[in-house]
Amino acid sequence: MTIALIFIFLGLLALALTVYLAKGHLSKGGDLEKLAIQLRPVDVGAFCNLISASEQQYLREHLPPREFRSIHRERMGAAVEYVRCAAHNASILMRLGDAARQHSDSSVRQAGEKLLENGLRLRLYAIQVIPRLYLSMAFPKARPTPDILADTYDNMSRQVATLSCLHFPTHGMSSAL
Amino acid sequence: MLFASYYLWIAPHILLGIFLICLLGRGLHRQLPIFFSYVVFELLQFIVLFSIFLHSPFQADIYKWTLVVGEGAGSILELGVIYELANELLLARSSLGSILRPALRVVLALLLLSAAVGSGAFSGISVQRVNNIFEMINFSSNLLEAGMVLALFIFARALRVSWHSWVAGVALGFGVSASIDLVTAALRAQWGERAFSAVDLTQMAAFHVCVVIWLVSLFLTNRNPPFPDGKLKISDLELWDQELQRMVQR
Repeated sequence: MTIALIFIFLGLLALALTVYLAKGHLSKGGDLEKLAIQLRPVDVGAFCNLISASEQQYLREHLPPREFRSIHRERMGAAVEYVRCAAHNASILMRLGDAARQHSDSSVRQAGEKLLENGLRLRLYAIQVIPRLYLSMAFPKARPTPDILADTYDNMSRQVATLSCLHFPTHGMSSAL
Repeated sequence: MLFASYYLWIAPHILLGIFLICLLGRGLHRQLPIFFSYVVFELLQFIVLFSIFLHSPFQADIYKWTLVVGEGAGSILELGVIYELANELLLARSSLGSILRPALRVVLALLLLSAAVGSGAFSGISVQRVNNIFEMINFSSNLLEAGMVLALFIFARALRVSWHSWVAGVALGFGVSASIDLVTAALRAQWGERAFSAVDLTQMAAFHVCVVIWLVSLFLTNRNPPFPDGKLKISDLELWDQELQRMVQR
């Protein structure tokens, strides 16, 4: 009886979750204008500073332990927010990349493909990095995260610029980045 | 009741036939060849079972064993389709393949373990051996299928991978049908032969829903491109330009 009930419950849960998760995939992609205003500002330099090992070492050496732990927690909390924003932006840029993949111009398609690939990579890193940042919050001696996330984010931003340039070459976007 | 059971047996297969014609017409069968084989197999199985059913005198044993063999072969094909869906939707992307493949293997191993536990518990629901074999295959394949489809959707959500193609509809159809079948298989195991006809009707209704989802997703994909404009407009790009300047400020 108990095993049957467990599987009935699991089946109903799987049904509800599958329908809920699939809803987004079958609806329309939405327009780019609405997606663009959902982007959140991310200062990659500030993020690199927050997770920098040398910066952490400097603070450890110059602050009393208690104060260091408190500041470290705040810094890691801020870093988590940065990662969340970067992951959020990545999901939006992946949709731009997805749209670009259907373009008639092969160079645009290629740029879109790269953007999508980097977006995916960044989201994967974000999933791995956030628990490590929380771990570092609890145990300040733990090395929070490699700089690879910031590099991927930078790469992705450059690819968006490339993509836009391919569509509209004289727009001066590269200089803005 | 009789009309309902005939309807639920025949109508989904007619719709499946239409779906197959649409697939062939658009050349989409090349995108998911195992799924295409599965659809053909389902139709063939229906034709064979229906012919046996119409044959006079009705030979129950032949019918049941054909059903069991068909269920076994269908389950193998369904697992193949799940692999194909995983490949098409997630694993084909180079950055994801290396990380998600082991994760999916772990999910599959856990599901296999659960299926073994469930099959062991439900192994004696009927005095007839053929019914027990059918029940175990049916339960295990539905558990694996529902679990794997759900895992795919969870991974896609976590990584924000968007599936705009009809393939997402195929996954959804399988997920819905397998989840309902899992619930009903557990109910059948609990109540035994008393619940057989109600469970059969529910499973046929679930398959009907599944085929309707496939058909609708095929037509929706055709009608709604991922981005309505098709091409990015200059105004869109200007907006991206401004947003990017804000986003990567240093």
